[in-house]
Amino acid sequence: MTLTPHLTSDSAACCWIPLFALRCELARRPELASRPVALLAPDTARTPRVWQVAPLARRAGVKPGMTVSQAIGLCPALKLCEPDPVHYDEQFSQLAAALVTVSPVVEPVELGRVFVGTDGLEGLYGAPEGIVEAIKCGVRSAECGIESESPLINSAPHTPHSALRVGWGIGKFVSWVAATRAKPGEAVIVPVGGEAKFLASQRLAVLPLDPDTHRRLLQLGIKTLGALVALPEEAVVSQFGHAGRRLWRLAAGLVSEPVVGRVVPEPIVAALTFFTPVGERDLLAHALDKLVDRALGDPRRSGWQVQVVRVHAELEHGASWLAEATLKDPSATRERIVAPLKTQLERSPPAGAVERLVVEFTAFAPGTAELQLFARDAGAAARAGRRRALQSAAREIALRIRRPMLYHVIEVQPWSRLPERRYALIDYEP
Amino acid sequence: MNREQTRNAEAGTRNKTDRLLALNVPHRVEVELDANGLPIGMRDAGYEMSRSVETVGEVWRIDDEWWRRPISRRCVEVIFEGGGRVVLFEDLSTGEWWIQKPA
Repeated sequence: MTLTPHLTSDSAACCWIPLFALRCELARRPELASRPVALLAPDTARTPRVWQVAPLARRAGVKPGMTVSQAIGLCPALKLCEPDPVHYDEQFSQLAAALVTVSPVVEPVELGRVFVGTDGLEGLYGAPEGIVEAIKCGVRSAECGIESESPLINSAPHTPHSALRVGWGIGKFVSWVAATRAKPGEAVIVPVGGEAKFLASQRLAVLPLDPDTHRRLLQLGIKTLGALVALPEEAVVSQFGHAGRRLWRLAAGLVSEPVVGRVVPEPIVAALTFFTPVGERDLLAHALDKLVDRALGDPRRSGWQVQVVRVHAELEHGASWLAEATLKDPSATRERIVAPLKTQLERSPPAGAVERLVVEFTAFAPGTAELQLFARDAGAAARAGRRRALQSAAREIALRIRRPMLYHVIEVQPWSRLPERRYALIDYEP
Repeated sequence: MNREQTRNAEAGTRNKTDRLLALNVPHRVEVELDANGLPIGMRDAGYEMSRSVETVGEVWRIDDEWWRRPISRRCVEVIFEGGGRVVLFEDLSTGEWWIQKPA
C-alpha cells in the first residue's frame, strides 16, 4: 500500500444505470420481468420500505419509500424482493472495473452512477463520440462476461448494463445532467463551450437542491436553469446565501468539478463461515469483534489506520446484508472501528440467519496510533514479549508439522442444547 | 468472479482456512439395547472397540431447530464397565445411535 496522488480529469463522462439494483435482480431472475416487482430497502429491516420500483408496479401507484402494506394495498400482485446488496455491489464493481480499462480516472458515486475522466483519451479514441463509444464497448464486454458466467442472464434487455446512459461534458455536473437526458443505451454529448446553452433549458430539479429551496424557487416562478441564471447572481446569493451562489454558478455552467479517480487500495478481508446459520445479534457482534481483530492483525495494515470498513453477511436462502462505515477519524482501535457497525447491526439487523460474515477494510489513512518501537509501560512490554514468544513457537510448530495446528477455542452458541454447537476451534495466528 | 469463487479467494489466499471446527461432534456407533430400550453395550466400528454399559444415568430428550431441519434426540448418560462416562443418543428421525462427550 503506497500513497499515490489522486488522478483528476476536467472532462467527464457520466455513466448512469437507473434502478441498478432492481435491474440486477431482474437479470438474475428473468421470470420476474413481466410482473410488477419492487425491491425492499436494504437498511430498514424493522419497517421494510419499498426502495426501487419496476415500471409495471409504478403504473399501479407503488412508489419508493412506501411501506409494504401500502404497496400491496395499491398493487396486490406486487412481487417484493429482498435486497441482495452484496450481489449489486459485485455487479457494480464489475462495471467500474470495465470502465478502468477505458480510463484510469474512474469515480464511482453511487450504485449505478460512475464518472469517467476522459482527459487525454482523444489520442486513443478521437472526438468525444469515439470516447463514449469506447466506454459503451468496455461496458458491453463486462456484460458479455456476466452473461457467459451465468446461464440465468441470457436476455440482453434485462442485463443492467443494457440500460446504460452516458453523458459527456466538461465537469461532473454537466455530464450528469447530460446522462439524465440520454435514452437507454444512448449518449448525450455537450460540446465544449456549449454548457450554458445546454443547461439553460434543463429543469430546476437537476440541481442538487433541498426540497425547501426547490419549493421557494418554484414559487418565484423559476422552472429552468436558464430562468435562474437570468436573475442577478447577487440577488440569488442574498436570498439563498452561499448555497445560492453555488446553485447559480452550477446553473450557469461556471462550475466545473473534475473527476477524481481513486487508487483502489488492496482491501484487507477477514471472513468467518458459521457451521450453522446464526441469527443472534450478540453472537454476530462478538464475531464482528473477532473479525476486526483479525483484520487489524494483518501485516499489510501496519502503519495504516482504517478509514472505511464494510461488513457483509451471506444469509440463509441466498439473501445478503451489507453495512459500511466511514470513520471520521481513521483508527486502528477495534472498539472505534466496530462501534458504527454495531450501531447499524442494532438499527437494521440482517433479515435472516447469517451463514458467513465478512469484514473488509477498504480505505486507509496513513499513520498509526499503535505502539511501534517502544513500549509505553511495563504491562505493554510484557504483552509484546509474550506475543513474540508465541509467534516464535507458532513458527516452530509450523516448520515441524508443515501446517498450522494452533487454534483458539471460541464460544459459538454456548447456550445451545446441542453440545456440538456450543464451542468451536478457529485458526490462531499470533 | 462468482460468490463461491470470491469466498474461496478470501478463504484460501487471504485468510487461509476460516472455517470453524466444531468441538464435541458426535460419532456414529452401534448400540445394543435391553427390553426397555436402554443401552447395555456399545460397538464403535471406527475405533474397533466394544464396551459394556455398567450404569445408565439420566435419560432426556432434545427437540430443537424445528424451524430448519428438526433435530430430535433421545439421550442417555451411561458409564462403561472399567470407567468412562459418555452420552449415547438416538437420532429419532433415523434411528441411528451416536456417542458424545458429556457436557
